[in-house]
Amino acid sequence: MLKMANSFPEEVLEHVFSFIQSDSDRNSISMVCKSWYEIERWCRRRIFIGNCYAVSPRMMIRRFPDIRSIELKGKPHFADFNLVPEGWGGYVHPWIAAMADAYPWLEEIKLKRMVVTDETLELIAKSFKNFNLLVLSSCEGFSTDGLAAIAANCRNLRELDLHESDVEDLSGHWLSHFPDTYTSLVSLNIACLGSEFSFSSLERLVGRCPNLKSLRLNRAVPLDRLANLLHRAPQLVELGTGACSAELRPDLFSNLAGSLSGCKELKSLSGFWDVVPAYLPAIYSICSGLTSLNLSYAIIPSPDLIKLVSQCPNLQRLWVLDYIEDVGLDALAVSCKDLRELRVFPSDPFVVEPNVSLTEQGLISVSEGCPKLQSVLYFCRQMSNDALITIARNQPNFTCFRLCIIEPRTPDYITLEPLDVGFGAIVEHCKDLRRLSVSGLLTDRAFEYIGTHGKKLEMLSLAFAGDSDLGLHYVLSGCENLRKLEIRDCPFGDKALLANAAKLETMRSLWMSSCSVSYGACKLLGQKLPRLNVEVIDERGHPESRPESCPVEKLYIYRSVAGPRFDMPGFVWTMDEDSAVRVT
Amino acid sequence: MGRAAHSSSSSIDSSSHPDLLLPVPAGSSSSSSLSQKINGNYGNSHINTRTDLSTDLRLGLSISPSHHSDLSSTSTPGEEALINWPPIKSILRSRLAGKADHPSLFVKVYMEGIPIGRKLNLFAHDGYAALISTLSLMFKATILCPEENHVHSDKYHVLTYEDKEGDWMLVGDVPWEIFLTTVKRLKITRADRC
Repeated sequence: MLKMANSFPEEVLEHVFSFIQSDSDRNSISMVCKSWYEIERWCRRRIFIGNCYAVSPRMMIRRFPDIRSIELKGKPHFADFNLVPEGWGGYVHPWIAAMADAYPWLEEIKLKRMVVTDETLELIAKSFKNFNLLVLSSCEGFSTDGLAAIAANCRNLRELDLHESDVEDLSGHWLSHFPDTYTSLVSLNIACLGSEFSFSSLERLVGRCPNLKSLRLNRAVPLDRLANLLHRAPQLVELGTGACSAELRPDLFSNLAGSLSGCKELKSLSGFWDVVPAYLPAIYSICSGLTSLNLSYAIIPSPDLIKLVSQCPNLQRLWVLDYIEDVGLDALAVSCKDLRELRVFPSDPFVVEPNVSLTEQGLISVSEGCPKLQSVLYFCRQMSNDALITIARNQPNFTCFRLCIIEPRTPDYITLEPLDVGFGAIVEHCKDLRRLSVSGLLTDRAFEYIGTHGKKLEMLSLAFAGDSDLGLHYVLSGCENLRKLEIRDCPFGDKALLANAAKLETMRSLWMSSCSVSYGACKLLGQKLPRLNVEVIDERGHPESRPESCPVEKLYIYRSVAGPRFDMPGFVWTMDEDSAVRVT
Repeated sequence: MGRAAHSSSSSIDSSSHPDLLLPVPAGSSSSSSLSQKINGNYGNSHINTRTDLSTDLRLGLSISPSHHSDLSSTSTPGEEALINWPPIKSILRSRLAGKADHPSLFVKVYMEGIPIGRKLNLFAHDGYAALISTLSLMFKATILCPEENHVHSDKYHVLTYEDKEGDWMLVGDVPWEIFLTTVKRLKITRADRC
């Protein structure tokens, strides 16, 4: 078989490979033999790099000479929760600068948790002739000036998505930099921006782009402007509204309802900042077509949410605040049989006392009523082992289960036992679980279950859990497919880490903060495993100024073929071979 | 500089420091032959430390259930630990904080010399004294209060802020309520640089 494959002309193989889209399949292809490796690398057009420090731009370019689409991630995931100090790194500029020379035909750039400057955006705008897609997800470091450069120069831009980025909002004028001849916009997400912009520019832009399918506006767009925009874009599939806080006016209401009912294709709604619930019936007419509803910025009382979800029989994804309460989730379970993903965020996460009646019951109801549910992110204040066991039995299809009990180390509220058995049931029953976040009172036993059953687990987040090194040892020695592990405030330390050091080379990254890993162990890891970058993040000054046994504040370990990075700020130290020798 | 600065590490220090390894207190979290082995290695010539880690680990690996009942002593989250808990993205966090019943005002705080930035809710403080005490803990620095005499020393820090006009001012120059309406970000600067 292999022999035959080798006798194919290269062009044939190249053509065959072009049908293979998945990254892991492409990787497998390149492992078959030298000639497949060669053919594959020349015809690879898309690349995903899960950690910008795992490889250098130069190495990527040397291997893949003709990339058209790149997806690149920077900071560790815990940066989302403010655990990574400002200035840590994740700068995209070296990548863009290298690609500007090497990939003149680059079309797509997707960045996540990276620092992007205005200079970088200007370089993107002028370097890539066919550039058409820019996704900046949870990025920072740039302003609306950089966006103006993109708008002014990227004539073929189809998609501009600033998903949850931290943009310095200098002015809203950047939007008027899209030239009058520009008509190719398909998707625009500016929901994270704060400032108002020229509504007439926005209206003209929306009006002249016939293929616009997705428009996610920011809070500054008032309700009375929305109807105008919708009249110009009845083809929209995805809409993020602006603020919906205007006083209820019958003319405004009917105008909105009318324009929405004209958007027959709408499948996804988000926004609803400051919504006045009395406006919600305006969307009822399109609810039957909705598959996705993000209400995580909308403060809507439970009765109004119940009316809303009961209009949405085809809903597949719902993000909502805990104002929905248990009764609302009961209604969801009755009405939305196609639900795949549910996220319930806390409306008042900083107080211990519940402000709404949202308990484990709501999640039980949904797990019973929605047979296709696969992914859950659920914040609540009480949980029990029985509830988790029920949920696991109801819903063995979970691929993502993230439960956050708001008060750390909360036990089963009925038995006051740890929640070990409950989470054990989740990993045991949900064989396809890829992502898990645990919370509540957990002993090492919970991690024994996770290590034993979590065979497909790829990402695991732990906080305030476990009681000794054994817990971490179970996870590292058991979870065969683990790629990302992030831990905060757990009593895990040197023993488990060193005993499973080789495991770290199979993973993308490990984050540990406020744990019990000593500086000595970090040095040893860095010294013995040269393919790992072992970075100590300590804001108290150089770790050498403290005893070697002193735990480090934060530890970030990732594999890299590029060696130590060169852009470390003063509070990050890398444990390479030299530093270990120097100290011993 | 206060409780929070020390609370996270004290009990771990005593149990895993090489000099204190034996006798191992019952219930300690990091007592094992492995940690002794590693610490012991550091005492030897560095040639020995270059032996194969996996061998060391195989030999030294004796992880066993420890009777660790003393959860609270190793892991009581100080107030500091809970600053970034529960895990909610800042965009949603600030959105939630903007609600009427728990108003908040998040600003970024930087400290000169160390590119550490933190977000801080000013509305959680009732005045300059509370703000400065939070920041002193957060950044482990001695920050002078506005009413204190200005000492020019590298040991002390002062708090400055950027106002809506983009000017950097010394915190305390206006009443707290007015400060809240104009502050854009904060910076902790060494007193001798002012």
